[in-house]
Amino acid sequence: MGVVSLFVGGQLLYKSVLSEAQIRVSLDLNAAREIYQARIKLVNVSLNITTLGFGFVSAIKQRDIQELQHRLGRMSVHAELDFAGIVTGNGKVLCRIGPDPMPDKRHQPVNPIAELAIKRQAPIAGTVILSEDFLFSENSELANLARVQFLPTPTADPIKEIEGASGMALAAAIPVFDQSEFIGVLYGGILLNRSKCIVDRVRDTVFLNQTYKGRTFGVASIFLSDLRISTNAITQDGKRAIGTRVSKEVEERVLIGGDTWTQRAFVVRDWYITAYEPITDIYGNKVGMLGLGIMEEKYLDIRRKALSVFILITAAGTVLAFGLGSLLAHRIMVPVRRLIEASQQVSEGHFNPEIGPISIGEIGVLQKTFKDMVAALGRRRAESENQLLHSEKQASVGRLAAGVAHEINNPLTGVLTFTHMLLRRNDINDEMRSDLETIANATERVRKIVKGLLDFSRQTSLDREPAEVNRLVKSAVSLMENQALVKGIRIVFEPGQDIPMLTLDRSQMQGALLNIILNALDATQPGEEIRISTNFISSVIDMDQKGVEIAITDTGSGIQPDHLDQLFDPFFTTKEVGQGTGLGLAVSLGIVERHGGTIRVQSEVGKGSTFCIWLPLDEHED
Amino acid sequence: MNMKTENIILVVDDEDIVLDSCRRVLEADGFEVMLASSAEEALEIMERRLPVALLMDIKMPERDGIYLMGQIREKWREIPVIVMTGYPTTETIAEAARMGAATFISKPFTPDELVETVRRVLKKVIQPVFSSYG
Repeated sequence: MGVVSLFVGGQLLYKSVLSEAQIRVSLDLNAAREIYQARIKLVNVSLNITTLGFGFVSAIKQRDIQELQHRLGRMSVHAELDFAGIVTGNGKVLCRIGPDPMPDKRHQPVNPIAELAIKRQAPIAGTVILSEDFLFSENSELANLARVQFLPTPTADPIKEIEGASGMALAAAIPVFDQSEFIGVLYGGILLNRSKCIVDRVRDTVFLNQTYKGRTFGVASIFLSDLRISTNAITQDGKRAIGTRVSKEVEERVLIGGDTWTQRAFVVRDWYITAYEPITDIYGNKVGMLGLGIMEEKYLDIRRKALSVFILITAAGTVLAFGLGSLLAHRIMVPVRRLIEASQQVSEGHFNPEIGPISIGEIGVLQKTFKDMVAALGRRRAESENQLLHSEKQASVGRLAAGVAHEINNPLTGVLTFTHMLLRRNDINDEMRSDLETIANATERVRKIVKGLLDFSRQTSLDREPAEVNRLVKSAVSLMENQALVKGIRIVFEPGQDIPMLTLDRSQMQGALLNIILNALDATQPGEEIRISTNFISSVIDMDQKGVEIAITDTGSGIQPDHLDQLFDPFFTTKEVGQGTGLGLAVSLGIVERHGGTIRVQSEVGKGSTFCIWLPLDEHED
Repeated sequence: MNMKTENIILVVDDEDIVLDSCRRVLEADGFEVMLASSAEEALEIMERRLPVALLMDIKMPERDGIYLMGQIREKWREIPVIVMTGYPTTETIAEAARMGAATFISKPFTPDELVETVRRVLKKVIQPVFSSYG
């Protein structure tokens, strides 16, 4: 990732820096052209001013050479002209500046710009190429100045010549009229060969004479054809690189093709970002080029610097990421991995997994929560295992009881029937009667045990629905009435008024009632009665808690005070052997308690007992 | 209803010992007793002779008891049925009540309990006890 971003970033940086440099050099080229043009304008303006000077026209007419030369000299000094002169209407040089102000009239090549002005009788300004002949006749110093030795340039178009002797000049020519009579032309100009005026001005104004690593940052050059005739590019021996030539490619694209060309190029001794544009002379021919270059090295260094900062940042980021990563791994991943392992252990049934030291912060909270969760899970599992065990036990007891009941009750019916039938006979002795009674009692006992088992096995979860307590009691009484009547006992039900509806498991609550009624029946002698009543009453434990009480009162034998505590224990019984198993009351209490209720017993030995089932009005969870 | 069948009790149970016990007790008390060990047999007998009352096990195999109860309720509405059960859960009792049983008796029972129950049903001392239930 870091490598990719480094690569992409480096490429972007490289392109943007170099394209920035190219844009800059093109803009600078525009500025350089403006300087070049301004210089032409300056020459033009200087000449114009001179022609308009008072007495200039008459001085020409009167051939006042001294006056004219004086004026030419002043103009040349101010406008820094290398050559200047006045040509008569027929092309003869009247006078000029320089070592030979009054040339021999016989061989006198006329300045081409003056020639053009004569021909057109209009002012001309621009670039002009001056031949070696003209330069010689004008000023031999100029001719020497113009001569440029070719320096070997490997990329340039190979040519035979070894030097260039032509000059390139910025010049202007202004026709002079006396009234409408054309009397001559004033010409003047600056020789560009070896001139510093344009290139150094460009360097000073456009590049602000900047240097980079001791070398000129920006260079400007003027080319005559492909030959560098004016420049501030410096060669290795510290001289201006006049005489070198542009590469063939530039020559073709700019000088011949006429394009503006921007490219990196090797100039003299350094790589430069360069821009070239053609220079057109007064005839409209592409005669030379204006070229600019800025040192590539500076931009390369900028790029290198930016790139190294970029690399540094990326590297620092990578190191930071690794550092943070390992820190996170240590602070988060390690505990999380342990939690994952612990989760696996939990899923395999180990409820005390090792999760390592508790971290600080949110991970620590997670670990603690996980620990709590596992502990809760363990407890819940233990509970549900117990419950499962319990319900499995209950279910198996239930199945066993049902099977036992079904299988045993049928033969028991036979045993009971035939024992009783035998007992009815008169032809049996006392011993036989006693034995038969033992059989009958034992059978009765078996019957009770089976019934108790059945009741015990039926402790299932509550299936609550709204129920009318009075109706529930009435139906339980109806179910027991037959049994009671068989025993000669009357059951009297006195339903209470305004008893609210309760949410009960009707079937189980009925079972609980039946058990207590059955118990009462067992305790009651024939001819007596069992009274059942219902009341809307507060709990005896909490007076604020309203509920419904079902009171079952018998006039039976009562319960010994020391037996009251054990009354609801499973398998506790006060009955004679063969009279009961004691499961009934425990089952009843279980059902009532799961409804959030209580069973109270009041008993007096010899007078009877009252069982009060109290059920709360509000719903209670089982 | 055939007037001659006044004293006949039909006992239906898949256990011979129960059938024998009931016959022994009821005959001793002066009833005529017919025995059937399945619902089909009981229905066959009833097509020939109608009893005054019917004692039947509700938990015979293959829900025979429930089937028989339905048949009797359909064809001989007025004959009271006493349900015998060796597994007296509130559900089975309630089911018997819904089917229209006159009363129920838990196995095992003593001769006195059986005779008393039958007599009450016949004397209509016992009204259908389940009318108010569920």
